[in-house]
Amino acid sequence: MSMTTDGWQRLAPLALVFLFFRSLQKFIRENLFLFVGAGAGFAFLDWLGPRELVLAGVGVLLVLVGGSVIYFRRFRFRIEDDAVRVRRGVIEKKELRVRFARIQNIQIGQPFYFRPFGLVRFSLETPGASEKEVELPGISRELAEWMRDRIAEWQRPDATELLADTATSDIAVRELYHAPTARLLLHGMASNQVWVLAGVFAYLVSQLMNRFSERIDEAEILVATLDRYDNGWIVLFVAVIAVLVLLIVLSAVIAVLRYHGFRLEDAGDRLVARHGLLDEREQTVRREKVTGLMFRQSAVGRLLDCWSLSVRQTRSGDAEEQAERGGFLVPGMSRRDMDIASRLLEGANAPGKIQPISARFRQVYWQRWSALLLAVLAAFAFNWYWGHWMTVLSALMMPLVMLVLHCRFRHWGWSRDGEMLWVRQGLLGQRIDGFRLDRVQQVRIIQSIYQRRHDLANLQLVLPQGSVTIPFMPLEAAAGLANEAVFIAETALDHRV
Amino acid sequence: MTDPAANFSNRQVAPAELPDFRRVELHKVADAFIPYSVLAQVLFWMILMLVAVAFRFVPVSPFAPDWWMVAVFGLAAIWFGGMAWLDARRRGWALREHDLIYRQGIIWRRTVIVPFARIQHVETSSGPLERAFGLMRVKCFTAGGAMSDLSVVGLDGDSARKVRQHLLEQIRDTSASEPEAGGAGSVDDD
Repeated sequence: MSMTTDGWQRLAPLALVFLFFRSLQKFIRENLFLFVGAGAGFAFLDWLGPRELVLAGVGVLLVLVGGSVIYFRRFRFRIEDDAVRVRRGVIEKKELRVRFARIQNIQIGQPFYFRPFGLVRFSLETPGASEKEVELPGISRELAEWMRDRIAEWQRPDATELLADTATSDIAVRELYHAPTARLLLHGMASNQVWVLAGVFAYLVSQLMNRFSERIDEAEILVATLDRYDNGWIVLFVAVIAVLVLLIVLSAVIAVLRYHGFRLEDAGDRLVARHGLLDEREQTVRREKVTGLMFRQSAVGRLLDCWSLSVRQTRSGDAEEQAERGGFLVPGMSRRDMDIASRLLEGANAPGKIQPISARFRQVYWQRWSALLLAVLAAFAFNWYWGHWMTVLSALMMPLVMLVLHCRFRHWGWSRDGEMLWVRQGLLGQRIDGFRLDRVQQVRIIQSIYQRRHDLANLQLVLPQGSVTIPFMPLEAAAGLANEAVFIAETALDHRV
Repeated sequence: MTDPAANFSNRQVAPAELPDFRRVELHKVADAFIPYSVLAQVLFWMILMLVAVAFRFVPVSPFAPDWWMVAVFGLAAIWFGGMAWLDARRRGWALREHDLIYRQGIIWRRTVIVPFARIQHVETSSGPLERAFGLMRVKCFTAGGAMSDLSVVGLDGDSARKVRQHLLEQIRDTSASEPEAGGAGSVDDD
């Protein structure tokens, strides 16, 4: 069946719902912190009054609905033999053509309200793009799957002469990994988002408390209530723990909703991940466009033996942030599951023994931080204006800083296995970046005066997905690895991404 | 179409046999770069110093900096001017058969090696002060984000144009030897 059309196509009307929710979400995300920040939002609310508030809310909704309608009405797409073309824009009109051969990542998502109508959201990404380049919300699943297969066909090395009706059903698909719900719960519990949520929650509570204490002495009432119990502060402590437990449960539920039924499949030259309960997603990555792997384990994850794996690709923006936002993530893995590395990236066995960086890293930072803290301590000790507690606080900081530096030192290291290099770093959790040396784009050797005196160097390898640094390596090891990386990159045939 | 694997060999190379970037003799940057670099630093701090002085004498100024603040800017001009002088004398670059090497920095010495096969795009540029000294910079863009682009600063106009031309030829040559639609990741391991 050929779906290539000469004419421009439009999205299904139901796409309006998606566009509206997306713009609402964007509006809230961009304005929430501005609103809540420094209590300005509450002052604004007091100044407005309820009637104006409702009017403003309705106004914002109307603008969002209007924006979505205009976007929907102006949105057109056209599928050509070797590319997809999109025209869009509310104020400024944009036309974009993305060649199938350039695409590194395809996503097909189906929010629950698209399901009865057989519609999906189809998005494409090319190397170096900071966000999803083409997003078609509200096209038929049949068309999306046809495009997915067609893109895969175009990306085969022998795809110079392609017939319009080629089918791809002859590829054997193997399951590489499956995440049971219990593992997903662990993934959610171990996720760092719990602490982000806790931070936001604490901030909101403190804002509310400040606000109430301005009007009535709510804080005093609270203290009075607490005093009624014999151990009032224990009640407060229990309340904090209860909130934390609640947040952990919430995070686990979010993880299950998001990654429900997670399956990772090997489809020859592509990797496919399927997951999601309310928003079913299928994500396809071209194996050749995989530039590295990243294993991550949070501090809680260490207790639960819970890892996640990010499949890295060329990015223009901040790699970390991209991995969080809809990157190709494999959740809920245990140590044993790390063996799938070799099935995802050629030559990538799970990281072996990690070689440590020089102990001078810890020594030199200990010395510098101690000197700084001692200076602060002396300043507080001789300045009674601040009182004794600041002196005690800075004295207590000392062992804490020493411990942090020790943890950083203990985690930082590298492991070499053929053309594969693994670099580990972390504080309480850990992160292990793995990549083939033929992917290296630039090599940097950086030495401070201290490092030059002690034959040490920081080695920084720039990769398509961002750069990786190994600090305080013995100079010979750093130079040797730099020479090898350059040699391998120069003798490899491909990879100008 | 030529077979990419036809001219391919993959003999094992011992680490000691590999070309060592430390043994490469670097060219010094253009002589004019030394006064340019010192002047650029001194001018920057002197302008800040003049602004601080101006604030002291403007009657409606919202902020009147003390003399010690003015002196700090003056000292910064001397310190950073001196560092720029030392750095400019030690800066160096070299072209090897397959890569470009650039070294800079006094306190933090940084050596960058960019293989030609990884450069996506090259451009030359020069600011007004650089033009006054007949200098030009060559910018090499690779994948890995905007932060990772390499600027080879301190070449005279002729050298910069030659380097750019050479890099463009190398990029074309390496691109021509690459297979059409990738997929060579497995070839180099055979």
